[in-house]
Amino acid sequence: MKKSFLVAVLIVAWLTPLTTVFSAETIKIGALYTMTGRGGQYGKDSEVAIKMALDEVHEKGLPGDRKLEVIITDDKNPQYAVSVAKRYISEDKVKFLFGIISSAIGLAVTEVSKEQKVILVGTDHAATDLTANKFQKYYFRSANNTFQSMMAGAMYLKDEVKNWKKIAYIGPDYAYGRDQWMEVKWGLDKLGVKYEVVGEYWPKLYEPDYTSYVTAIMKAAPDVLIVGFWGGDTVSFIKQAKPYKLFEKMIYFHVDAGGNYEAMAALADEMPQGLILSARHHNNWPDTPENKAYVQKFFKAAGRYPSYAASGAYVGIHMIAEAIRKVGNANDTEALVKAMEGMKIQCPEDPPGFTSYIDPATHQIVQVQAIGTTVKNDTLPPAKYMLGNWKVYPAEKLWPISEYVEYLTKAKGK
Amino acid sequence: MKKLGSYLSWAVYGVVFLGIVLVNPGEHYIHLAARVIIFSLYAVAFNILFGTTGLVSFGQALFYGIGAYVTGMLAKSIGPQFFLLYIVLGAVLASSVSVLIGLLTLRLTGVYFTMLTLAFAQLAWGVTFKLYHFTGGDDGIQAIPKPELLAGSGVLKYYLFSFVVVTISLYIIWRITHSPFGALLRGIRQNPRRITFLGLNVYRNQLVAYVVSAFFAAVAGGLYSGLDGSIHPDMLHWPTSGNAILMATIGGMSSFFGPVVGAAILTGLEEIVGRHTEYWSFFIGAAVVIVVLLFPRGILGIRWSGWHRKEEEKETRVAPDTGN
Amino acid sequence: MDLGTFVSQFISGLSVAMLIFLVASGLTLIYGVLNVLNFAHGSFYLLGTYFAFQLMQLIPNFWLGLVAGVFGAGVVGMIIEVLFLRRIYGRPDEGAFQLLMTYAFILVLDDAVKFIWGPEYKTISKPPIFSGSVTIGPVVVPAYNIFIILVGLVVVLFAWYLLNRTESGKKVRASSIDRQMLSLLGANVPLIMTVVFGIATAMGGLAGVLAAPLRTVTPGAGIEVIIDSLIVVVIGGFGNFWGALLGALIIGEVLSFGILWWAELATVLTFIVMIVVLIWKPEGLLSTKSAGGK
Repeated sequence: MKKSFLVAVLIVAWLTPLTTVFSAETIKIGALYTMTGRGGQYGKDSEVAIKMALDEVHEKGLPGDRKLEVIITDDKNPQYAVSVAKRYISEDKVKFLFGIISSAIGLAVTEVSKEQKVILVGTDHAATDLTANKFQKYYFRSANNTFQSMMAGAMYLKDEVKNWKKIAYIGPDYAYGRDQWMEVKWGLDKLGVKYEVVGEYWPKLYEPDYTSYVTAIMKAAPDVLIVGFWGGDTVSFIKQAKPYKLFEKMIYFHVDAGGNYEAMAALADEMPQGLILSARHHNNWPDTPENKAYVQKFFKAAGRYPSYAASGAYVGIHMIAEAIRKVGNANDTEALVKAMEGMKIQCPEDPPGFTSYIDPATHQIVQVQAIGTTVKNDTLPPAKYMLGNWKVYPAEKLWPISEYVEYLTKAKGK
Repeated sequence: MKKLGSYLSWAVYGVVFLGIVLVNPGEHYIHLAARVIIFSLYAVAFNILFGTTGLVSFGQALFYGIGAYVTGMLAKSIGPQFFLLYIVLGAVLASSVSVLIGLLTLRLTGVYFTMLTLAFAQLAWGVTFKLYHFTGGDDGIQAIPKPELLAGSGVLKYYLFSFVVVTISLYIIWRITHSPFGALLRGIRQNPRRITFLGLNVYRNQLVAYVVSAFFAAVAGGLYSGLDGSIHPDMLHWPTSGNAILMATIGGMSSFFGPVVGAAILTGLEEIVGRHTEYWSFFIGAAVVIVVLLFPRGILGIRWSGWHRKEEEKETRVAPDTGN
Repeated sequence: MDLGTFVSQFISGLSVAMLIFLVASGLTLIYGVLNVLNFAHGSFYLLGTYFAFQLMQLIPNFWLGLVAGVFGAGVVGMIIEVLFLRRIYGRPDEGAFQLLMTYAFILVLDDAVKFIWGPEYKTISKPPIFSGSVTIGPVVVPAYNIFIILVGLVVVLFAWYLLNRTESGKKVRASSIDRQMLSLLGANVPLIMTVVFGIATAMGGLAGVLAAPLRTVTPGAGIEVIIDSLIVVVIGGFGNFWGALLGALIIGEVLSFGILWWAELATVLTFIVMIVVLIWKPEGLLSTKSAGGK
């Protein structure tokens, strides 16, 4: 009796490690981010945020003790990115594609996702197209698109800004710049606001010198200057415009990427007061313990405070984890898609009482937008000015708006 | 002896690019091979100007881009049934444009020629970028359909199609560069004045080389548009032109298959380096510096230093290059 | 267009021109004297910004930063010339190798900068004395831009004096005409070439430091200036110092007025100008050399 019991125990003891080997599956996520040049910071920040999210996911655990692994490659240009995406799928056997900063690359890789039926979670590129006219069911986005920002912006202009009529626009001469202008005008038209366009300016992306644009804008003298830059261009423009006293002569309105933390950090004391800005995530709003914890955790990991790109990546990882938890595994793509549709996901940027969710029809995350003006605030150095005087716009008012999707489809095609 | 050498190179070419199909190392590597073979055609076409005729064109991307956009836009709007025809149409358009550009650029020599080719290519890039209602601008054009025969999951069929098109094109280029016309071009490279003394028109012959080069660069572009079904104005941007020079130089500009080797090395390097580090620019830059310093004749140049090169060197000593 | 608009656009075009000129002048000098097309010249502009930034992290003084940027760029330039460029002088197809080598250096330096300083963009501030603006009639001009214009003029005068009125300057000009002859005459040609390269890259660095308070210190900044500088050098004439000034003025003003009149074409306007010049007077507007053999 004793002997066979002992043998049984030994056999079980010997087999147990084998069973854990079989069940501890690693689920791979193939990420593409810009790690070089102007967009490099967003890639780096996303990388840090991904690691943060992975730690949290593994602490909470995944079904069957699975682990998530993220491979990050610099995406370079659309052709190269597509070949990397394909390699991720055929060689690395990733279950998800992830990330992407440039909308052009997003548009190219979404085709790979569609063709190969692999879920792509976009975390930073904001071209509305991907969740509108170019929608395909394996694409999800964990950060807001430009339409959500601009629609909120249009509402702000209508309700909060008094005595304005003349507007001008300056933005980088490519789809991102053009889309924001198109969207804010559409929003204003929808709200029945009357306006007069006194100028449109299209410097090239990464234009080093805006001086001539500044002088031209000063001459056109709009009441509100709507701006569509991102990254270093925002910083350059503000620096170059300041000595011309542009900010005293007109309202500076920049609601998709203007309020991005790294711009405020770079400008420090040079940031003018009273600019109307927003971003896809704010480090100092909402003032919830969750947001504060997220920001401090990032600071601990990277030695600086995050840009908004990080929050998209952070949320994206948690989305994938939640979907896997719901389905129980990472192999049933159709079930995972269903799990993500309508999914509620707590984001650092959610104000108390609201949880962001994925719109089932367009797979776009629906979040509130908060627009503020620059005020002195040095609680998160090296920024000296941050946003305050917040106005918050409810998520459902901003997306989905099928009227706009129709308009976009007519304008840009499928 | 020479003939054996050339059969050998074609044999190696065939073994490598067909062999990969038999070995079948997986989807990704076939896709990689497809990129290599398409870039090979692009680089060999460029080398007609560079290695053979001695013209440093910094604007090849223009023709590559025309090929890609014509093929892609036609396939998307009309449908992919006549894919091969679209590629040919793209190549014809590119050659027509190249006649105009060639007439203007070939009036210049040396760095002026190079700069003007760059300017035209950048202009074309800018225009493609700006005409976004027509070309999609920097969104590029996606979902370009492949012809029925080649569609379906997996890139193998498209790879074989590309292989056939590229091989035929390479063969045509081979015949051209190994013909008396080719010898004439090489003569122009070494000493244009001597050629003029012989009563031949340097300008006109360079123009022919320019047009042929443009034609096949466009064929490569057209092939690429079907590979991933996605094209972008970046294909006309100056780094793409730079890549042609890189591939020809790394592989060896004085030999026919040099650019093919160069294409393989550059693509392979990007692949390997890109996988392991975000600092791929650094490593590729360093690799180029090493090649330029130590292997000026390129990879193929080292091996051939036996017979071929000695004859060329004899020629150059007679008429030293004074440089422009 | 009223006078006020004209004047303000003209002056802003002038300050744009000056910055391009400072980069282009180095580029044209290198070509003129060493016969090298330094495609990596933008990277010395980049190095200038980073060296200045680094110094200013330790001692927040713009002027010291300026010195650091200029010196740093010059020294790195000389190192690159001696260790790498020298080895390809006199090779057949030298032009292609120069292009490749310098292109490779753009890649290497850009990543090096990212590796050392990180990918986030940084800023430096203007020196406090120039942070205000000057009002001339209806036009407001930032003091700093006037400072840049003045620096540009000083550089031009200084260079002219050096090249035309001094012994070393004459040697430098002579080596652009015939390297071999000059060395036969006993001049230390390699030394001249290294020093000139260093001075030219130092000027690129100077442009970088001057531009930095207006723009951002970021990897990728070098690539943004090189194409415009090339265009200016082509328009003015390769190797022609005054040509670089004229070319820069043309480009600066074309861009400045172009955004008012042909806003849609702003991106391609400079290439069109380049093409027009290359077709009409390919050797450059002020050059006396010839550019073609046909």
